[in-house]
Amino acid sequence: MTEYKKVTQEIVDKLINIVGERNVIWNEPDKLENYSHDEITDKKYAQMPDVAVKPKNAQEIAEIMKLANKEQVPVTPRGAGSGLSGGAVPIYGGIVMLFDRMNKILEIDKTNMMAVVEPGVITNELNQLIEPDGLFFAGYPMSVESCYIGGNLAENAGGGRAVKYGVTGRYIMGLEFVTPEGEILNLGGKLMKNVVGFDLLKLLIGSEGTLGIFTKVIIKLLPVPKARVDLLVPFADPETAINAVPRIMTESGIIPTAIEFMDKLSFETSYKFLNEHFSHDDAGAMLLIELDGTDPEVLEKEYEMVGKLCQDNGALEVYIADNHTTIERVWRVRRNVAEAFMVYSPVQSLEDIVVPIGSIPKILKDIKTIAEKHDVLIPTYGHAGDGNLHATVVKKQEMSLEKWEETLPKVLLDLYAKTHEYGGSISGEHGIGHKRKKYMVDSVGAPAVELMKRIKRAFDPNNILNPGKIIDA
Amino acid sequence: MKIIVPIKQVPETSNVKMDPETGTMIRTGVEPIVNPLDLYAIEEAVRLKNQYGGEIVAVTMGPPSAHKALREAISMGCDEGILLSDKKFAGADTWSTSYVLSKAIEKIGNFDIILCGERATDGDTGQVGPGIAAWLNIPFSTYVSQISEVTETKVTVKRIVENGYQLLDVERPTLITVVKEINFPRLPTLDGKIKAKQAEIPVWGPEEITAESEHLGLKGSPTRVVKISTPKVSRDGERFSPKTDGEMEEVVDCIIRFFEEKEII
Repeated sequence: MTEYKKVTQEIVDKLINIVGERNVIWNEPDKLENYSHDEITDKKYAQMPDVAVKPKNAQEIAEIMKLANKEQVPVTPRGAGSGLSGGAVPIYGGIVMLFDRMNKILEIDKTNMMAVVEPGVITNELNQLIEPDGLFFAGYPMSVESCYIGGNLAENAGGGRAVKYGVTGRYIMGLEFVTPEGEILNLGGKLMKNVVGFDLLKLLIGSEGTLGIFTKVIIKLLPVPKARVDLLVPFADPETAINAVPRIMTESGIIPTAIEFMDKLSFETSYKFLNEHFSHDDAGAMLLIELDGTDPEVLEKEYEMVGKLCQDNGALEVYIADNHTTIERVWRVRRNVAEAFMVYSPVQSLEDIVVPIGSIPKILKDIKTIAEKHDVLIPTYGHAGDGNLHATVVKKQEMSLEKWEETLPKVLLDLYAKTHEYGGSISGEHGIGHKRKKYMVDSVGAPAVELMKRIKRAFDPNNILNPGKIIDA
Repeated sequence: MKIIVPIKQVPETSNVKMDPETGTMIRTGVEPIVNPLDLYAIEEAVRLKNQYGGEIVAVTMGPPSAHKALREAISMGCDEGILLSDKKFAGADTWSTSYVLSKAIEKIGNFDIILCGERATDGDTGQVGPGIAAWLNIPFSTYVSQISEVTETKVTVKRIVENGYQLLDVERPTLITVVKEINFPRLPTLDGKIKAKQAEIPVWGPEEITAESEHLGLKGSPTRVVKISTPKVSRDGERFSPKTDGEMEEVVDCIIRFFEEKEII
């Protein structure tokens, strides 16, 4: 294990020389506390940084990295902090690097349908800017109103539209990044095809800030679908709802943009949190199905077909949202489930398993059994259309914290074992961070972990950049 | 029981941009929707129908494309939609609009309750509802947050007033404008959408509703818009932060002086 040094006044002075006094946060614990955690509520995953810096370009970042290597101080890059696996938490203290000043959209290239942005751009802001030009970026994490593009890339964020559009990485065509040792490199470009050498671009996407720091991102844009419609479909119970999903996917002949699933506890908590109301007391689960297309009339036929399939497969009702206001109203409920749970039951572990979609009904039954066996609640919601389920392990009121600490690892072991049994994976989009690090060997096998360690050492021989995440190199 | 719901098609204003030169809204690319506050009137009508039985007629004045708003109302549970559309209606203010709507409602006839949204999100006047009642010479209640009872002869409503609530018994027929607190509007259903798509929407012009032409459109409107301007918002902040505890008093003085200069205190 690498021995790191504490950040001293001398190092801070050097940082000030690089980024300016205004852009260094030092000796201000109140401010630094904000950078000690992400959206995980459990404080045991938090750690205070020694100092936070806000560079404005790749050159400044390169200098900081060189300094950090020389001084043996770890550096943790941090986007908007909306992560859910601790990726942005400085677990060995040191320097937290913030991208608040690198928030410019540098270019919208309409001819090539590409955008060039800095990593601190908020995902939704890019989409708002390019919408009038009939373009959009298909990445759609649930934190779209706050998350940074740099963070989306680091985690290879998935989200609500992956069924049709895939995840963030599919749209990243090029990168400028700073290596852990402080070199500025470029990968890819405004190219749709590129097979020169190893695909380092894909290696960096989803590397959780352990292999490099993104400073410029080239994003492929798509023509924005002219028509969008959402079907909000209550079912009597989760099984009926989930059983309808493979049928919708196969029998309709239509690829939905999204099929989101919420069980009763999930949507009720979100409705309560939003002070909204839903008039189906008999509903035990809900699907939110989104379709998009270029022709409103074609789309109408498609949603009627999908809606009827839902009716034939046990839907209690099929609600249609086909304008901006109603679409936003239904998605808001889905997007706020995670936040609502953090408010109502902060003692929890938000999980991110993904299984082949055909296995969703089976794993839902297993989740129920696991919850009963360990006497915890496991409300489940997520992206049913791509098999990614946010089973959230929640402590019951009456369970003591000591008992919870003892129980949670057992629950996770059972949950992950079942996930692997179906050929699934323990994280679909939230990543490993330090939260799930200990499950890496079980997930991918020891030889793969060893290979990852060697890759990490090749990029970062001094283990300076975001150490202790994914693997211990 | 027959309930009539006058509705309006408005531009989707949740992310609208204003033209700083003319002070008007940039309408290109803005989709027309049912005035969000009218959805509460539609929802309340559907609830009353479910409770007391009867039928609901939605009516709107607008361009030919406004049939979409009526179809939306039908998909939420209204039985019929009537579109008032004619070049002569164009440019109407709230006075002329309420006149045309009242003439259409007279023609529909036999109504018990007229339910309106509190106001439209584009014009923001809240005048058309009460205007209709005045033309029809029937009682009306505005800002209603609850319709607690409907009997053969009267309707009991709870309306929001400045420092509380007012409970009123109003004789039928009557007009009620409702506020957001009254309910949670439902979404259209698939079956409702299919029904709405197939619905025949009659289009009425001035002849059908026997409207007098001097009350119609821009010419029949007493309102004259002199100027539209966008209020300018400017923030004029200053930051005072003490470096040491000793500087605190000085900083407080600075803040007080700042407030005094701005005539805040």
